[in-house]
Amino acid sequence: MEPILRIDNLCKSFGGIVVADHIDLTISAGEILGLIGPNGAGKTSLFNLISGVVPQDAGKIQLQGRDIAGMSLHNRARAGVARTWQHMRLFRTMTVLENLMMGPRDYPGESLLGSVLGLGRVRRAETAAHAQAMGILERMGLAQTAETIVVDLPFGQQKLIGLARALMNDGRLLLLDEPMAGVEGSNYETMQRVVHDEAAAGRAVCVVEHNVGFIKDLCTTAVFMAQGKILQRGTVDELTRSRELTELYFGTAEDAA
Amino acid sequence: MEYLAGTIILIALFVILASSYNLIIGYGGLNTVAHPIFFALGAYTSALLGIHAGLPMAVCILAGIAVAVLVSVLLAVTTLRISGDYLLIASLGFQLGLLQLINNMEFTGGPAGLSAVPNTFVGQGRGTIYVVICTLAAIAVVWAIWRTMNGPFGRAVRAMRDDELACAALGRGLISIKILIFAMGCGAAGLAGGLYAYYFQYISPEQFQVAQSAQILTMVVLGGIGTTMGPIVGALVLVALPQAINFLQLPNSLVGTVQGLIFTTLVILFLFLRPGGLVGHTGSQSSHGAAH
Repeated sequence: MEPILRIDNLCKSFGGIVVADHIDLTISAGEILGLIGPNGAGKTSLFNLISGVVPQDAGKIQLQGRDIAGMSLHNRARAGVARTWQHMRLFRTMTVLENLMMGPRDYPGESLLGSVLGLGRVRRAETAAHAQAMGILERMGLAQTAETIVVDLPFGQQKLIGLARALMNDGRLLLLDEPMAGVEGSNYETMQRVVHDEAAAGRAVCVVEHNVGFIKDLCTTAVFMAQGKILQRGTVDELTRSRELTELYFGTAEDAA
Repeated sequence: MEYLAGTIILIALFVILASSYNLIIGYGGLNTVAHPIFFALGAYTSALLGIHAGLPMAVCILAGIAVAVLVSVLLAVTTLRISGDYLLIASLGFQLGLLQLINNMEFTGGPAGLSAVPNTFVGQGRGTIYVVICTLAAIAVVWAIWRTMNGPFGRAVRAMRDDELACAALGRGLISIKILIFAMGCGAAGLAGGLYAYYFQYISPEQFQVAQSAQILTMVVLGGIGTTMGPIVGALVLVALPQAINFLQLPNSLVGTVQGLIFTTLVILFLFLRPGGLVGHTGSQSSHGAAH
């Protein structure tokens, strides 16, 4: 399988707290990798390091062979890192469609002059983004919500919109921060189906989840993290069968089964 | 007639100032109090060029806009990287410092200002010509802002105001968006300054005090922050109202008090009854442009 993300010896600490301790990790196209581990293991921090929210202290981050470790947050998105957020971070005053149309990674329409003059290539980019957004919404069965202000939607649908906005970025790496938490019923099935489809289409997906049941439904492989270290990599079953890891995990979070 | 023309011109210029200030603070969420100094930069640049270089009015005003844009970019580049609160302090210092400089330089006329701005149009129709020019300029500025804010660029600006981190993580460079709206808003203030200098033919530092920020902000808030029509309505009400009060022929000692009372009462009433302003939404559905 073609490796999409390759991390070597990644280190980060905030003061005395180590959130990434010499991490090596590779995620390949088509893979859905789960990150599991107790609270404070450094799962979301790893996402923040990969996407560029915080700079690393040391180590290499390569996206399809290209070194992105020195890039700013927005340039990493343009390079092809798409992510969602635990608390969604949707644009609350905007419609579902407008939220999605912020997603394309390279967008000529957002230059000031192009916007004022309504140049041809801007109009074409608008039309293309609009079509892409409607396509994603239709796949999720949410096309009818396009003109709704995003915060007026039920929670589960907002989670899906968070994923939809990230999917507007056609890069190869997709980072999902607790996509399933609080999502139920048909929205849960939609989330699962869309994530599987994206992986099948060639994206490398990495998922942070607390609930091991979600990870089982979603992921092909998983890594177990604790205290900024990756302790083991394997199938979800292998990891949950490991007594050592289960003790580490269930020792801190009783409701994680 | 000249009195009416003067009032309309003032309204048009304040529509430009309020709309552009609204662009920066209402749409962009960039807290600055330095708007009057960019108004001053436009006014002084075009006045000085008109007086000393004898260039045509249009060239002088364009130069005024260019200087305002250039200086705003310099201020933005140095302060916007840090954080929003830092911009507020920096803009206050910038406003006070630069005005103090104008107040103490010889070539700007010091506290006495500049009073020999060339008269481009002579005769009966002068007022009318300026009414047309200033109204067209106001329409152009409002149109440009409306157009920008309802297009893809405006969508990025509103997204940035809603959530900077999420916006950046989608590949949008926040610094360049901020610099662009700041430059656009300050350039518009420069345009208003140039027109002001040419119509009134007299400018002095006290016309560009920091308190003017409060006046322009009142227009924006009263009309409806983050809306296209809000600043227009706000400018109209706040320029016309004092003129109307003048017509009441109150004793001079009372005029200031009555104006102050009415303005403060209006602002307090609006804060409680219509926080979205005259044209703004009042419910949870805050302003969003229709992007199709």
